[in-house]
Amino acid sequence: MNRSRYRTRVHSIFKSVLALFLFLLIVPANAFSQAQTSPVDGMKDNTPGVHAFTNATIITSPGNQISNGTLVIRDGVVEAVGRRVSVPADARVWDMEGKTLYPGFIDAHTNVGMKDPRTELDRGSQSWNPHLRAHLTAEGEFETEDDGSAALRKSGFTNALSVPPLGIFRGQAAVMNLADGAVADRTVKTGVAQSVALDRDWTFGFTYPTSSIGTIALIRQTLYDAEWHYNAHQTYNNNPSGLQRPESNAMLAALSDAVRGVQPILFEADSDEEILRAMRITDEFDITPWLRGNGHEYKLLDVLSARNVPLILPLIFPDKPEIDTPEDALNESLADLRHWYLAPENPARLADAGIDFSLTTHGLENKSHFLQNLRTAVELGLDKETALAALTVNPAELFGINNTHGTLETGKKANILVADGDIFENGTRIIDVWVEGSHFSIHREDDKDVRGGWQISSTDGSIDGELTVEETRPGRLGGTITINGNEIDLASASVHDQSRRFRADFSGEELGLSGSVRLTASMTDDRMIGWAEMAGQDRIQWSANRTSQAAEDEEREHTPRERTVELADLRPGMEYGREALPPQPRHVLVRNATIWTMGPDGILENADLLVSEGKVAEVGQNISAPRRATVIDAEGKHVTPGLIDAHLHSGVDGVNEVGNAIVPEVRLGDVLNINNIWMYRQLAGGLTTAHVMHGSANPIGGQNVHIKMRWGALSDDLKIDGAPRTVKFALGENPKRVGTDRYPETRMGVEQLIADRFSNARDYEARWKAWEENQEGIPPRRDLRLEAIVDILNEDILVQSHSYRQDEILMLMRLAEDYDFTIKAFHHGVEAYKVAPELAEHGAGAVVWSDWGGFKIEAYDNTNYNARLLHEAGVKTSLHSDNSQIAARMNWEAAKMVRVGVDPEVAMSMITSATAELLGIDDKVGSLEPGKDADFVIWSGDPLSTFTKAEQTWIDGRKYFDLEEDAALREAIEKERAQLIELIMEEKND
Amino acid sequence: MNKVFNNKFYEIMKNSISAFLIAGLLLFLPFNAEAQMQTPAPEQSEPIALTGGTIHTISGDVIENGTILFEDGIITAIGTDVTLPDGTNEKDVTGMHIYPGLIDGWSQMGIYEIGAVNMTTDINEQGPVNPNAMVERAFNPESRWIGVARSAGVLTSITTPGGGLISGQSAAMAMDGWAWDQMTVKAGVGMIVNWPNPNNAENYTEQLQKLRDTFADARAYKNARSAMESGNAPHHDFDSRWNAMLPVFSGDIPVVVNAHEVRQIQDAITWAEEEDVKLIILGGRDSHLVTEHLKEKNIPVVITEVLASPNRAWEAYDARYALPSKLYDAGVEFAIAGSSSAPYANRLPLEAGAAAAFGLPEDVAVKTLTLYPARIFGLSDRIGALETGMDATLIIANGNPIEYATQIKQVYIQGRESDMKDMHRQFYEKYREKVDQWSSEN
Repeated sequence: MNRSRYRTRVHSIFKSVLALFLFLLIVPANAFSQAQTSPVDGMKDNTPGVHAFTNATIITSPGNQISNGTLVIRDGVVEAVGRRVSVPADARVWDMEGKTLYPGFIDAHTNVGMKDPRTELDRGSQSWNPHLRAHLTAEGEFETEDDGSAALRKSGFTNALSVPPLGIFRGQAAVMNLADGAVADRTVKTGVAQSVALDRDWTFGFTYPTSSIGTIALIRQTLYDAEWHYNAHQTYNNNPSGLQRPESNAMLAALSDAVRGVQPILFEADSDEEILRAMRITDEFDITPWLRGNGHEYKLLDVLSARNVPLILPLIFPDKPEIDTPEDALNESLADLRHWYLAPENPARLADAGIDFSLTTHGLENKSHFLQNLRTAVELGLDKETALAALTVNPAELFGINNTHGTLETGKKANILVADGDIFENGTRIIDVWVEGSHFSIHREDDKDVRGGWQISSTDGSIDGELTVEETRPGRLGGTITINGNEIDLASASVHDQSRRFRADFSGEELGLSGSVRLTASMTDDRMIGWAEMAGQDRIQWSANRTSQAAEDEEREHTPRERTVELADLRPGMEYGREALPPQPRHVLVRNATIWTMGPDGILENADLLVSEGKVAEVGQNISAPRRATVIDAEGKHVTPGLIDAHLHSGVDGVNEVGNAIVPEVRLGDVLNINNIWMYRQLAGGLTTAHVMHGSANPIGGQNVHIKMRWGALSDDLKIDGAPRTVKFALGENPKRVGTDRYPETRMGVEQLIADRFSNARDYEARWKAWEENQEGIPPRRDLRLEAIVDILNEDILVQSHSYRQDEILMLMRLAEDYDFTIKAFHHGVEAYKVAPELAEHGAGAVVWSDWGGFKIEAYDNTNYNARLLHEAGVKTSLHSDNSQIAARMNWEAAKMVRVGVDPEVAMSMITSATAELLGIDDKVGSLEPGKDADFVIWSGDPLSTFTKAEQTWIDGRKYFDLEEDAALREAIEKERAQLIELIMEEKND
Repeated sequence: MNKVFNNKFYEIMKNSISAFLIAGLLLFLPFNAEAQMQTPAPEQSEPIALTGGTIHTISGDVIENGTILFEDGIITAIGTDVTLPDGTNEKDVTGMHIYPGLIDGWSQMGIYEIGAVNMTTDINEQGPVNPNAMVERAFNPESRWIGVARSAGVLTSITTPGGGLISGQSAAMAMDGWAWDQMTVKAGVGMIVNWPNPNNAENYTEQLQKLRDTFADARAYKNARSAMESGNAPHHDFDSRWNAMLPVFSGDIPVVVNAHEVRQIQDAITWAEEEDVKLIILGGRDSHLVTEHLKEKNIPVVITEVLASPNRAWEAYDARYALPSKLYDAGVEFAIAGSSSAPYANRLPLEAGAAAAFGLPEDVAVKTLTLYPARIFGLSDRIGALETGMDATLIIANGNPIEYATQIKQVYIQGRESDMKDMHRQFYEKYREKVDQWSSEN
């Protein structure tokens, strides 16, 4: 049981209703501000707005404290503050003895006022895409009813950034104050930032983009479009004569400032990878980024300190993992256990790394958890001054309102938080907040508490006796009434109407009545007056005097979070994660092995491999070890190049963009995710390189990405530098069965759609060439989709096409020939063997399964001899997995080829050298030849044998997997899991 | 009302029409293929002796340079000094290895042709309780995958229905023959129960109750019928479902419980104890956590998919590869099976191979595909080893069948010499001809 949360709940039950009531009473006296241009209805409210807070501890700004001081505010502005400030004659005086005044908190990211956002944007100049809503403004869309301000005020907030919540380009955020009143009067600053989400939400149904890859492509295209729109209008407005008028698009126009770096772009980063995605977009454009984070920032301290991007930090601390039974615990991942433990340290860790941030309640379903989480963060090392800065001066400066907000200095807006102690300590309560001079009572210290003992006397003596009221469980009252020695349980007991009215029922049986007795009363702290409705009888009047107070609320005790487990910083932050990249020894010499060079030297027995600075230096016999070389005796073992999988879908967030049939603008490299246990498993199987591919939902799919399995690196560092761009095409059943009304639905349509886009791309290329000749007027709009197709036609992007049947394979080759380019490779190609000679003649390769088939009609004519026959026909042939598990044992896929009669060295080439060639990376990987990357595997025996396993996997001359290290890691993981589970059990039992 | 009805009717008609079209297409497919179809082998007509090979009897010794003699489909002699009867067809297999045919303990062979075409699969009968569904009676002898499995040495499949709570009865099927009756080695080798998923507590309780109720109903039926038969009760009508459960209660058919998680396995063990039925665990991903109780009750495990990855991120990368060796070390009886997919039955030997790479002794690995599944499914009097009196269902290979490089040269099923040219090979030969024509023309 979380005690403090329990306390908060009790507190709110008893007190909050009253607070609301009092607030309603008090507000008129504090003059609801009305927009200055609005006419006055009824009596004009001229209640004075001058208040003096005396005898207060005043934190004027982080680190600056005045003891026993006075703060004077006039009409919403701080007039004076200090120890020797005299109270103005016209001021209402508030004795703040024992109270601490803080600058009101600023919530740096909320959806306040955005409860029911418009989904339909069906008027005026719009974007073609419902996700693009950059022209919406928070102040323009703001709804005051149930806007969420009250909940934020309870946590001490007086101002908040209101951020439009829907779409990808979501619109412009505004700083609002959290008073009640007209939007016009509450708007502090508009156009603060443009909010951009890094993944789509499903509000807009099945429209482009349907994936994170499509989302990032759309962000990219939109920024280019905004740039173009701005420049086109500049050019046109300078001299429209002879020019076609560029489209006038309100959404793009609204991005003019953002795209030129004038208005910040607030990236809504929901994961550690989304933070990196935002950074990569930032690198591509001249924009000013802000980040709204997610609680995983401690995993990226190095990146965030180097980047120095303004960070808005939520306090999302995960619930305790579900480990009610040992079986549940078995199913809990170390990643989740670790994050549960580490997330509350996130703010302290960032602060310790020198990273500034502003705080937000974002992500807390119940905003009332904010203070508790803040205090937990402070308990776990977040400095109070830093915490206060993150709630006041940091956001004020970020939003450009530091002249008016963030401190309690003279001249600033009167945004004040009044607490009965140190706000960062457990037990401290927020008494009031003042928002630009408007008073909001949060906690009334004179709220009535019915708990305790009472002596009842009634007019006819029939219910004279003892009443005891207690809290039976959180938020529930119960108790007993003792009349004439009969102790009767209260069937119900409750407090109503701003904690002034008490109600209870009890059975009248013991008193000889047939039904129940209903008590109601109005109360002060120590007296009640009320009446009782006796079953079937008259009402009688009664009163009660308090005889005892409620027992001291022991739930106020606070158990600090245990910090008994030492957790190393891991990347990725999960099981088998690394503390650092493996070292790269200057020289590594592997001796006495059978080396499959997969180059002209073939297979060398009893040979040595010398690696220097991450590259293969030499392969041969009797190589002498350079000084201080790491020497590995591999007698009896085999060494091969690192294995390559030509077709994999793991390690990315989103594989298919199905929102359009033609999507070569989407890029898998945008959405790599290192939190992927498969990568470690694949390394354990000797895989060092993979071609991570788009799915097969589109005739022209997205761009793929070549990665190395650099487990422990950032997603940015997985990509292979200098690898060519490749694109996924898909033919046959898959692209024609997406949805019910998306073109195409037949293989005929697939062919025609591809051909049509090829022609469109040629036209597009011609338009650009024409413009580039004289560069006059408005340039064509940059279209990333057509641009990619131009690159395909010019073989700057290599086509890797999903295919099954022979007819479609032949079709795409002939189509490419019509456009004078070559298809690099057909993937899956279950019937590729049927057109082997045509493939050889066209110059296309084949990337096939060892033995998949039969799972659908177009896969029915599979044969395990497919790769063999293709190879025999002179087609460059590779194997692929298309499956995360199979990718972890590609040597056995090659071994299956030996079973159908393929020479072992050729079989090995199908997962190394031939694969590298078909992926366009054979200048780097795929064979052990001098100058190539030192990616290699040491096997316990013949890599094509059933009985062999990988013992070591090296990439760039670094050892990423080692069987012995793996054994040690397993033990460490078991231990860490056990410790964390034990800790959760302890906290559960508290 | 009519409009809705009409639309719906139209939909149904449209679907049926396309189903007909697809079925029609399938009917024609084999005839359209120009490749030869594999023809079932004739009954053994003369004594056959394989001489000079290494005979892996599995249940006994490895016999170098031995002779195995079989007549009328039955092994009549094995050894180094075998007298051959007159008229014996003697085949020299010097340098070759002879193994009993492999047994796939979990398979959809014969009831699955093309995954994405519903009409070609006969795995899941309607409703949750189908103890009377008998898989051999729906077995398609023309399935293309039978020949493919045979080429990999898989000569018997435990063809197993799926779906629901009680899926039906599995059968041991031979991978050669004209029709299902000829191909049935033994019907009713297991009553398939799919243990409910414990991760949804409410549903788990409900489903377990359903399972208990079903068995209670079947038992009540058994009692009512026997009371009727002994004249102690009036006539009780025949119930196909509960009648099919009688051999389960008599112990003639084991209950094969598909269970992976530790809770499922433990709960299945206590359940089988209460129900007093013979239990086989199918799947058994977490069975290494329950070894003591499996051993105590002599409950065997059919491990499905060794070539698989752990289910939990924190588990060792080789958790599934190493599971068989853990069970072996703990002394639990087990067999290894694959993923059940018919087109991939030919991968079966490699599943045991992976176990061997990760700690299971090589000879034991072979037993997990032969002797052990034969014992578990009550077939060890006929298959799973090479002994006099057993079926001549065997493999001639150039090595251990679980090694990738090994090629299966010939198989015999009940003494019948099978056609080894499966569809994979036929497609290869046909299109190899295209390559040859193309290169001679160019």
